[in-house]
Amino acid sequence: MSRREGSLEDPQADSSVSLLPHLEAKIRQTHSLAHLLTKYAEQLLQEYVQHQGDPFGLPGFSPPRLPVAGLSAPAPSHAGLPLPERLRLDAAALAALPPLLDAVRRRQAELNPRAPRLLRHLEDAARQVRALGAALETVLAALGAAAHGPRPEPPATATATAATAAGVFPAKVLGLRVCGLYREWVSRTEGDLSQLVPGGPA
Amino acid sequence: MPAGRPGPAAQSARRPPPLLPLLLLCVLGAPRAGSGAHTAVISPQDPTLLIGSSLQATCSVHGDPPGATAEGLYWTLNGRRLAPELSRVLNASTLALALANLNGSRQQSGDNLVCHARDGSILAGSCLYVGLPPEKPFNISCWSKNMKDLTCRWTPGAHGETFLHTNYSLKYKLRWYGQDNTCEEYHTVGPHSCHVPKDLALFTPYEIWVEATNRLGSARSDVLTLDILDVVTTDPPPDVHVSRVGGLEDQLSVRWVSPPALKDFLFQAKYQIRYRVEDSVDWKVVDDVSNQTSCRLAGLKPGTVYFVQVRCNPFGIYGSKKAGIWSEWSHPTAASTPRSGEAGPGSPRATPSRGGGEPSSGPVRRELKQFLGWLKKHAYCSNLSFRLYDQWRAWMQKSHKTRNQVGRSRGCARGPASSASSASTSREAAAKAWVTSCTVLR
Repeated sequence: MSRREGSLEDPQADSSVSLLPHLEAKIRQTHSLAHLLTKYAEQLLQEYVQHQGDPFGLPGFSPPRLPVAGLSAPAPSHAGLPLPERLRLDAAALAALPPLLDAVRRRQAELNPRAPRLLRHLEDAARQVRALGAALETVLAALGAAAHGPRPEPPATATATAATAAGVFPAKVLGLRVCGLYREWVSRTEGDLSQLVPGGPA
Repeated sequence: MPAGRPGPAAQSARRPPPLLPLLLLCVLGAPRAGSGAHTAVISPQDPTLLIGSSLQATCSVHGDPPGATAEGLYWTLNGRRLAPELSRVLNASTLALALANLNGSRQQSGDNLVCHARDGSILAGSCLYVGLPPEKPFNISCWSKNMKDLTCRWTPGAHGETFLHTNYSLKYKLRWYGQDNTCEEYHTVGPHSCHVPKDLALFTPYEIWVEATNRLGSARSDVLTLDILDVVTTDPPPDVHVSRVGGLEDQLSVRWVSPPALKDFLFQAKYQIRYRVEDSVDWKVVDDVSNQTSCRLAGLKPGTVYFVQVRCNPFGIYGSKKAGIWSEWSHPTAASTPRSGEAGPGSPRATPSRGGGEPSSGPVRRELKQFLGWLKKHAYCSNLSFRLYDQWRAWMQKSHKTRNQVGRSRGCARGPASSASSASTSREAAAKAWVTSCTVLR
């Protein structure tokens, strides 16, 4: 696919000018992947809470929403942003998720060593969100809407000193937070991409 | 500061948690400046305790603005609110908890002890690990597939459940020299098993043992000493074929091939055959099938489908004096015996039995008739008649000598003349009886 094959400014303004077929196919494919990962993310969240024990997973369980370095939840104002900006924020979040999911998997390997399915699904999630992020970056580049300049690197390991003081319960809560962020961002990406899919909502 | 009181043998194993890279955490329990929110710290954090022991814990509240109070705080354990009488206010900002006679942890990741504010919000949490130290693993058994590897299985300590994650490590070393090695491929044939895939020595004994470790301690099994050559097993015999024996209603022929993996090694093979009727769960076993690759099953029911399996024991490998280990059974092979009166390959069609007496074997009677005809033509025999043959068969039926022979694992039938079936035995006996009274005319 060439670097710029369409425009995100108003993709559906002129109905007589359709996106090139391969770009259109890429957008559909990326949207489908986001849709699939949204379902997987929901399943991962359910599986995660089961292995942490009650009160995780109980109705009404509301742990503190701990901040996570390099990633926050989609802001309430996200939906009001222009589509290019939304997609760039989606791509940035998807790029930040794999190392976070890897960290959760490593911790769960100690806490729940006899939960191979959970560990495998955490590993799969990191790999799949990496693929979705790469696909979205490709679409953005083709539309000329990629982020300008290099993306900032995730915080280095040394800066995680505060995390070494965390006990098991905070680690469980943090893992829940990361799984929740994963679900929120793939769902947000699916929604934003749906506006690019030809024939989808404007 | 109050702390948990584990039982006399317990060690509170408080390992520092590993790094969680890339996660700058606003730790639960650390004050957040300017947030206007209260947080708390639970002590002890993540204690390890023996089943039946007691725990004393505290939840200390602090926050911004200062002056956070312990009033209204409460505890939950695994999501269930604890009775108020278990708690008491130590001071303005600290709520204490006393738990006695603790049960084993509900999940491996630890029981969730949580301190809540009056409105139910979570202020802090700590995970309890309550369990037992591991008991000595025992009953180690090992086998080598074709002398190429070693798989071992063991039983965890007598009570099994420790309520804590217990790590099992299989260790092995050459008896008289060499360093300890640790098996790396676990759970290959069940939860307590390990597989060593290569680099094993023959003709020299190994020492093998299992170490079990959890947060409360460790235990080691007794040492098992063995030579790889004494615990060899192999693959099930391939190419098992089961076929009819001509038109014989009560026999099936079983043939197989010696396991190819051991074809270059000096050993003697023993085989076992088992068979059952299609709709039965009871297997009959034929033992003592030594160093041969075929066997005839006799005394079977006519017109019946049988499933047959074969397995191999490679004993005496390289002169080992110990029996090997039986292979798995081959995949079941099915075949059916001819129905009574059904034509077998090359046999004349059966005829119904005549008159009273037991049902006759059509092909056998026909063959006997032909034999008698030949004798009359080519020999001089006294007392030669079909009546004599029928009298002999009736006598055999009454004695019931051959009815149940094969079901009791009497080994393979050796050719048609020596089978246990009444039809072929009578044929042989009848032929012998006549021959003694005949003189063949040249």
